[in-house]
Amino acid sequence: MKKALSLVVGIFLIGVVAWAGEDVLVMGITGEPESLDPHVTVDNNSWRAIYYCYDRLVEYEGGTTKLRPGLAESWEISEDGLTYTFHLRQGITFIDGAPFNAEAVKFNFERLFAIGKGPAGTFEFIKSVEVVGEYTVKFVLDAPFAPALSAFATDQGCIVSPGVMEHEVNGDWGQDWLAEHTAGTGPFYAAEWIHGMRLVLKRNDNYWGEPAKLARVELRYVPEPEDLRLLLEKGEIDIAEKLTVDQIQSLKGVPGIRVVEAPSFQCHYIYLNCQRPYLNDVRVRRAISYAIDYQGIVDYLWQGTAVRMEGPVPIGFAEHIPVYQYPYDPERAKALLKEAGYDKGFTLRIMHSPVVPEWRQMAIVVQQNLAEIGINVEVESYAWPTLRAKLDQGDFDMSFGYWTPDYADADMFTWFWFYSENWGLPGNRAWYKNEVMDDLVTAQRVETDPEKRQQLFEGIQWLAVSDAPYVYLVQTKYQLPMREWVKGYVYNPMLLNMPNFNGIYIEK
Amino acid sequence: MRWWTREFATRPESEWRRAIRRLWRSRLAVFGVAITGLLVLIAAFAPWIAPYSPTKISLPERLLPPSRQHPFGTDDAGRDILSRVIYGSRVTLRICTLVVGLTLVIGTLLGLISGYLGGWMDELVMRVSDVFLAFPALILAMAIAAALGPSLENAIVAMVAIWWPRYARVTRGQVLAIREIDYVAAAQAAGASQLRIMLRHILPNCISPVVVQATLDLGEVVLTAATLSFIGFGAQPPTPEWGAMVSVGRNYLRNYWWYTTFPGLAILITVMGFNLLGDAVRDILDPRLRRGP
Amino acid sequence: MVPTLLGVVLITFLISHIVPGDAAQLIAGPRATPEIIQRIRQEYGLDKPLHIQFAIYLGQVLRGDLGKSIRTRRPVGADIRAFFPATFELTTTAMLLAVLFGIPLGIISAVYRDRLPDHLSRVFSVIGVSMPIFWLGLLLLFLFYIRLGILPGPGRISGDPPAHITGLYLLDSLLTGSWRALGDAALHLILPSFTLAFAVLARITRMTRSSMLEALAQDYVRTARSKGLMERWVVVRHALRNALIPTLTVIGLSYGELLGGAVATELIFAWPGMTHYVVGSMTSLDFPAVMGVTLVIAIIYITVNLLVDLSYALVDPRIRY
Repeated sequence: MKKALSLVVGIFLIGVVAWAGEDVLVMGITGEPESLDPHVTVDNNSWRAIYYCYDRLVEYEGGTTKLRPGLAESWEISEDGLTYTFHLRQGITFIDGAPFNAEAVKFNFERLFAIGKGPAGTFEFIKSVEVVGEYTVKFVLDAPFAPALSAFATDQGCIVSPGVMEHEVNGDWGQDWLAEHTAGTGPFYAAEWIHGMRLVLKRNDNYWGEPAKLARVELRYVPEPEDLRLLLEKGEIDIAEKLTVDQIQSLKGVPGIRVVEAPSFQCHYIYLNCQRPYLNDVRVRRAISYAIDYQGIVDYLWQGTAVRMEGPVPIGFAEHIPVYQYPYDPERAKALLKEAGYDKGFTLRIMHSPVVPEWRQMAIVVQQNLAEIGINVEVESYAWPTLRAKLDQGDFDMSFGYWTPDYADADMFTWFWFYSENWGLPGNRAWYKNEVMDDLVTAQRVETDPEKRQQLFEGIQWLAVSDAPYVYLVQTKYQLPMREWVKGYVYNPMLLNMPNFNGIYIEK
Repeated sequence: MRWWTREFATRPESEWRRAIRRLWRSRLAVFGVAITGLLVLIAAFAPWIAPYSPTKISLPERLLPPSRQHPFGTDDAGRDILSRVIYGSRVTLRICTLVVGLTLVIGTLLGLISGYLGGWMDELVMRVSDVFLAFPALILAMAIAAALGPSLENAIVAMVAIWWPRYARVTRGQVLAIREIDYVAAAQAAGASQLRIMLRHILPNCISPVVVQATLDLGEVVLTAATLSFIGFGAQPPTPEWGAMVSVGRNYLRNYWWYTTFPGLAILITVMGFNLLGDAVRDILDPRLRRGP
Repeated sequence: MVPTLLGVVLITFLISHIVPGDAAQLIAGPRATPEIIQRIRQEYGLDKPLHIQFAIYLGQVLRGDLGKSIRTRRPVGADIRAFFPATFELTTTAMLLAVLFGIPLGIISAVYRDRLPDHLSRVFSVIGVSMPIFWLGLLLLFLFYIRLGILPGPGRISGDPPAHITGLYLLDSLLTGSWRALGDAALHLILPSFTLAFAVLARITRMTRSSMLEALAQDYVRTARSKGLMERWVVVRHALRNALIPTLTVIGLSYGELLGGAVATELIFAWPGMTHYVVGSMTSLDFPAVMGVTLVIAIIYITVNLLVDLSYALVDPRIRY
């Protein structure tokens, strides 16, 4: 009996060792991609798998937010900022054999707009796409849009092969097929997807650029962070994502594991629904802002992996200025409440979702903090989609939220957050309206003089803190734990949770 | 001697054997009563027994291992786990009384009406309870709790929704059996109203099996509530419900074993107590059913 | 049976539609314009009144179309087909374990009544039916994987799965001769199936013991005592046969418990099965998937109960349908 058992265990171990070759990367993920179609999904989990199966007209330079040529060798922008002309690289074919040219690019954007789902919103500034030469394509805009070029480097800007139309069914532009497959020019392609278990990307050996060093990338679905962390420690997984702060902290110092840390622009904050009773009074919002133990949250919940937010624009952005930060002052908070006539106390509800485990912990702290100034807080946990639906309908008092920029411009943190036309999911989740603020944010959008624009941003930031429609909590560091034998990882703040599979290699 | 050639336990039993069996059975019953009693006491005197507040957070004291100050350690908000487990008994008792109480009332009433009146009413109630019983209990409870939104109240509603058919059936069975008995016919002949007959004559006879069923179910209620909370559809912070604590503790399994261990242990012991109590009650009230341990 | 099934469909439909929130909005994602949302609403038929939606759904179900999952964007039927084998493998293995160990334990317990083996097994029984499965699973995981490291961790298999024939890894690896996959999958199956089997094992032990005791107390056993050895052996077999009937009941009833227990087990061991899919659908409020899977699970449950009822006829010749 014992012999048989050890034989079985032995076979198992041999199997594991033999299979885990040196050019295979296994990444553990807690959320499966919802679709592999770049024109359909706005979900980060999906982008991670899609991004390196495709190329884009422009790409981010290494770990920076600077742009470099991608599928486009060069480009010109007209004086009035309304026309972008791209000169495309020649001699490239898609993985299904279709040639890459201006027609293909035009088709790509036609498809994007025809399908008209989330990703189309990123390019709503485009009026038309024209083929000017076999390898030249022209984009015409409705109005000048400063971050336009960055939009082409996002996942929504992936160029899809016209070959997908061979799999079209009932006029769906091939969505059903592309949800499960990839059809790009990129260094990888989707080879196998066992739902609920794993998605396997294989190297595209006909890639036009520098070939990837990895032969295979396996995205293994492990829904619980603790399981993921265990597998990482045992070496069954090479990279683990979305681990909690506590888990990552305890992984530091474990032999064989390296935690990559870098500053990021991801911010966690609380939305205060300004349309609700109590919260429509700025004194109440300021009182709440004074009542929170920010340092405790940063020191103990985030354990030094985050810094306190300083106003709405993240630290590190060119437009950021040091603005007033509300100190932890419960007495002042109580005084403000009394002044507003609410010293008897009242009840508010705060929403969170299990998707971000740290929110639950912060909710407990906030609950306690506000209890001390007389506000009774009820914590409610909702499924991610329900939470977002309630945000969009304004059906809440307070809620946690996080935000990462699509492009590195303060517009991302101001126009979306404060413009009164953006109530709900688009970005203004505080349902906040202030005409002065509206003027400021719309002005910065079209202002071309950098100095004047900066002045506008300064005004926006001061007003944002003074009106306190949000409680500005933390700006987190990006942390990714991985095995030490994973080399070549380059962090890009615009590509959070999307490791550069094309540059990574394994060295055991 | 091979075991199948032994004399089986059908030979005349020595007094010794019989006495041991009584002792054993009553020992288990005593155990059950003791645990349940302990639970009620702990719940009643929680504010005096618990060394700390179950909800006051203390961030610098997060995730401390068991020690003299914190026999069960602290959780991820610095709260004392022993105190939370103690207060958790209140939550557990509240869930039990609400769920069992409501299902008893609803189920018994429906079973009574259905069994006595018969006809289309009977058909309707039976069909509906068939549909509810066609699902594995947890799956249906999850679906209802998920749809209503995660909260302890909704979890209780979900559990009541799946449990009442059981009591309706038991009651109805009893009613059908009793309906034909002479004194009922006599009462009918004497002109008593249907309501009076139902309440005065039939109901008292249904109570016994229903009570047995209810005590037997207590353990299952606790387990289901804990499982619902574990999955995420039950109690919300800061409620110190045991299943919810195991759920959060799960993310701390590797380095902080105490977080999952103690609340889970509390669940196990409580359910054991309830099950043993249920067995004892069944033995007393319904010797017919007494089969096995 | 038919009205029950109809009721089942109705209930799952109603439950999925008391969900708050605009489903079309969820599908469309953020920064979607009202036109996009409206189009999606039409695509999923969400703009029609409730009873019409139900009628449409019923028609689809009868044709075998369970709709399209919002979360995975695949037909719910395809998702179920993909995840069913894992749950089937898990629950079947658990049931086998429970029966294989439970019945002998129950017999031994009955034979050695009131002696040590009996007491031990009765304590074990009580613990078994009182044990929260999710806690047991975590404990076992902690002990055997984290601390001792002798069993593999969460997941169904560490390396490549065997070529897909049935989706049951044990079977598939046998059929394709892949010994590595067989060992890998079998080792992964140990902890989850034991966890799941625990409570059912306890129940089966209890039931076997008590019905064995009852059968042995019958008259024919007493008379057989005065006869010889072979008679007793026949008696035992006869007693066992009668004892098995209530045990069969327990097995059938326990299947529902297994399906419920599988929910927690699949969550803890990252088992890509149907109940795991159900929980995921419920938390994401993916109502087509919730309706479809709940319906399928209910049908399985009803079928198993029916089979148990029918099997009585085989075991007990007195029962005829």
